[in-house]
Amino acid sequence: MSDLYLIYKNMTRKPLRLFLTCFAIFIAFLIFGAVTTLKGALDSGIELSADNRLVVVNRINFTKSLPIAYYQKVSAIDGVRDVTHMNWFGGYYQEPSSQIVAMAVEPESYLRVYDEVVVEPAQREAWLQNRQGALVGEKLAQIYGWKVGDRIPVSSNIFSHKDGGHTWDFVVEGIFTGSNEQYDTRQMVFHYKYFMETQTFGGDWIGWLALTTDDPSLNEQVAKSIDETFANSQNETDTSTEKAFNKAFIEQIGNIGLIIFGVVFMAFFTILVVVGNTMALAIRERTGEIAVLKTLGFSSPRIFRMVLSESMLVALLGGLSGLAAAWFLIEGAKATMARFLPNLIMGQDIILQAIGFMLLLGLVTGLLPAIQALRLNIVTAFNRGV
Amino acid sequence: MSQDVLFQLNGVSKKFVKGKEEISIFDHLDLTIDRGDFIAVMGPSGSGKTTLLNMLGGVDQPSGGEIWFDGSRIDSLGEGALTKWRAHNIGFIFQFYNLMPMLNAARNVELPLLLTRLSKAQRRKNVETALALVGLSDRAKHMPSEMSGGQQQRVAIARAIVSDPKLILCDEPTGDLDRRTADEILEMLQLLNRDHGKTIVMVTHDPAAAKYANHTLHLDKGKFVQRELVA
Amino acid sequence: MRSLLSQIATVTAMNIRSLPRRLWMSLAMVLASAVVVAILLAFLAMARGFEVTMNGAGSDGVAILMREGAAAELNSVVLREQLNLIEESAGIARDAEGPLVSPELYVIVDGIKKSTGTEANIPLRGLNARGMAMRENMQLIEGRMFTPGTNEMIVGAGVLREFDGFDIGREVRFGKNVWTVVGVFSTGGNVFESELWADIRMIQSHYDRGSSYQSIRVQLEKAGDLAPLEETIAREPRLNLDVQTEREFFAGQGKQLQYIAIFGRVISFIMALGALAGALNTMYTSVADRAREIATLRALGFGNFSAFCGTIAEALVLAAAGGVLGSLAAFVFFDGLNASTLGGSFTQVVFKFEMSPDLFVQGALLALLIGFVSGFFPAWRAARIPVIVAFRNGV
Repeated sequence: MSDLYLIYKNMTRKPLRLFLTCFAIFIAFLIFGAVTTLKGALDSGIELSADNRLVVVNRINFTKSLPIAYYQKVSAIDGVRDVTHMNWFGGYYQEPSSQIVAMAVEPESYLRVYDEVVVEPAQREAWLQNRQGALVGEKLAQIYGWKVGDRIPVSSNIFSHKDGGHTWDFVVEGIFTGSNEQYDTRQMVFHYKYFMETQTFGGDWIGWLALTTDDPSLNEQVAKSIDETFANSQNETDTSTEKAFNKAFIEQIGNIGLIIFGVVFMAFFTILVVVGNTMALAIRERTGEIAVLKTLGFSSPRIFRMVLSESMLVALLGGLSGLAAAWFLIEGAKATMARFLPNLIMGQDIILQAIGFMLLLGLVTGLLPAIQALRLNIVTAFNRGV
Repeated sequence: MSQDVLFQLNGVSKKFVKGKEEISIFDHLDLTIDRGDFIAVMGPSGSGKTTLLNMLGGVDQPSGGEIWFDGSRIDSLGEGALTKWRAHNIGFIFQFYNLMPMLNAARNVELPLLLTRLSKAQRRKNVETALALVGLSDRAKHMPSEMSGGQQQRVAIARAIVSDPKLILCDEPTGDLDRRTADEILEMLQLLNRDHGKTIVMVTHDPAAAKYANHTLHLDKGKFVQRELVA
Repeated sequence: MRSLLSQIATVTAMNIRSLPRRLWMSLAMVLASAVVVAILLAFLAMARGFEVTMNGAGSDGVAILMREGAAAELNSVVLREQLNLIEESAGIARDAEGPLVSPELYVIVDGIKKSTGTEANIPLRGLNARGMAMRENMQLIEGRMFTPGTNEMIVGAGVLREFDGFDIGREVRFGKNVWTVVGVFSTGGNVFESELWADIRMIQSHYDRGSSYQSIRVQLEKAGDLAPLEETIAREPRLNLDVQTEREFFAGQGKQLQYIAIFGRVISFIMALGALAGALNTMYTSVADRAREIATLRALGFGNFSAFCGTIAEALVLAAAGGVLGSLAAFVFFDGLNASTLGGSFTQVVFKFEMSPDLFVQGALLALLIGFVSGFFPAWRAARIPVIVAFRNGV
């Protein structure tokens, strides 16, 4: 027998209570793990943006287009390394509900600006050569089972094809991967020229520009000179870093997200308060036993440690199992959710944060009774009636 | 101090403040306990029996005077040192047994040995010996809730002697037991005193229990009114 | 029977009177119940508020036409020629000035959100007087109507609440064009309040739309009857349009938030399980705390059943207190809370959390359920444990 055995025996003396306590903590951390991961996935677009990448959109709103001439004008501005232009296609595959992130781009500059996009040289060449070719992200290709050489019909919920209907045929010429694991490869790009020639609106206009600067320190200056160049023109621009742009976009989800997370975290903490109260009371019930241990010659610090370890163990037992359950839940949901939330990953920071809360729970619930045990006067404890 | 003296109280006082009043329990109490003695402390409720016992056990400290144990002063020790001293020298037996409800008999007996440096095997041997001494070898695996009051008190006795302390303090050890069981427990204490040389101080208000001791001290209003040798 | 009732009353009164003695335990139980009720009500109030906003906008008497497959107004294009064809279709209500048809167009513009200080999408809708008349609840609550042919606009009450810089008299710049706010309108809290309205011709000319539109709203001759319009579309190949009632349209737009509402329900259910475990634990501890008390009563001749009822009643009282607390908290924090999110048409939808009376009823029922469940098992146990065991263990 050792102190550990004593702690274990104390913990398990009322199995039902231990179970209920652990279960409540389990639930709290299950939700915490799952919801924080979800929030992290929503925010991940912001974290992943390249430091020196800027986005140029129409000042009115990013859904409003820009003239193609801006492409040449922006590339001439000092501090701009590479620039490319993109058009939102509003794509879907077969069913309008199966939406696809598809964009018409200027191919060569696109690959320079988005250097996270990794393609085998042979496939890259093939795509550049074939106007009807599409470059498809690895995850997107997996979702629909597309392979290099496949002919894929992709429809648009915005544009109409010159030959009637809303569907374009593309040839998968290459499949790209991301240079880091988080890069979202659930997207496809194709030739701007092919798109312009085949859609019915006519004209030569682009959705927005993406560019890289020579150095992140130039970002502000470059953004300013771009916006100044087009000031007072028919189409004024708004240039921001990709990071700021993504952040603003995510924030459009609105305070709804904030409110939901707020409510969940409030509930999380309330459950911990309720559970913590019971845990602390459970130890306080044992005042008499602690007095006996002290009489037998167990030192106060030793009892203090035992009491604190017990509440720590309970908190960790419930908390870690809850966190593990959240992890399994997320791993299970990953496949189905991948289309909406690519970065559903329980990161180290979330795990550490959760463990921090568990330790805090154990500490707070254990500390008070432990201090009481430390200070317990044996005589008064016995007089109160054991 | 002679070799035979285990405990010596010189002019010990104990006061405590209750509300605005200061209550004095002892005033300049002197007491000598010899090695190998079995003393029964008797007296009415509130006479200070339990306070005396607590001070002997180092659980409570005097307001004045000196307490000497085996040649060293203990009244001036700090809490930590006193706790250590208690673990080495004193065994306690309580009225309500005070066994740990979640530990079986053997583990309850083993509890004080956690405070020693004995090896696991040695600890087990000591526990077996102590349980055999109180006649409970066959109940080693029983939980306190599965035992009668007398059996629980015997486990408590085994716990008190397992670390071989110099002094055993008993606070109304038979107060919760019927006559026959009480006699068994008292005989056991007598045996420990006579055959194993344990010094025992027992607080009781039961004259029949006091008969098992060698000496009886009568305590009233913080004074010894009588000290007699039991026949 | 009477004695049983009075027994129950005695035990209940005793339990409830002794609650303050078990202050922390009682508070924990109240808190557990409060959190479950508050979470549930928060999500229900959100779903309710959004529902009111979306459904309030959709009328069965109005049909909306967009380019086929467009799904949202933003993606749609309707040509002048198509508008002319529709105006002649059967099934459309008419008055002295002709068919009640409203061609509409909107561009998305940026507004600065008060809450975050970041840019968010607001629709700047161009429409005419007929279109406004089709919004049944529409009324100007401040200022005046925009003058056709000028750069004047009126703003929805929701936009005013959630965004900066749209007060009456303010000039707002979208691209090269400066607009003046001349009025504030309300549409009874529905989704149109999240919009800016201006003269459709001005929008066409300022934002290069030529004579094209995005959607056509028509007042139906008979509410819900789309058949004549569908027939017109089927007959005329130039009309590659989809038609649906406005109600159907908005129901589709609200789907996104329905997912959030489902998510909210699942979360609150799971959280409720956790809090319930906490409440049960508290009641078990509370009952164990007084096993001796209960045993004494039973030794005195009180029946098992009255001891059982007394404990249940105690749990119910605590849970109900929690329910009241949780409902109040939900009401104070959430009722009328302004929220906004990205709606189906890629623009901000502004809505209010709504705590309607029936939600309070749901909250109360939930609280009582929690009280019953968390009281039942401990009460069962307390009533069944033999008196002698309770005394001996004195737990």
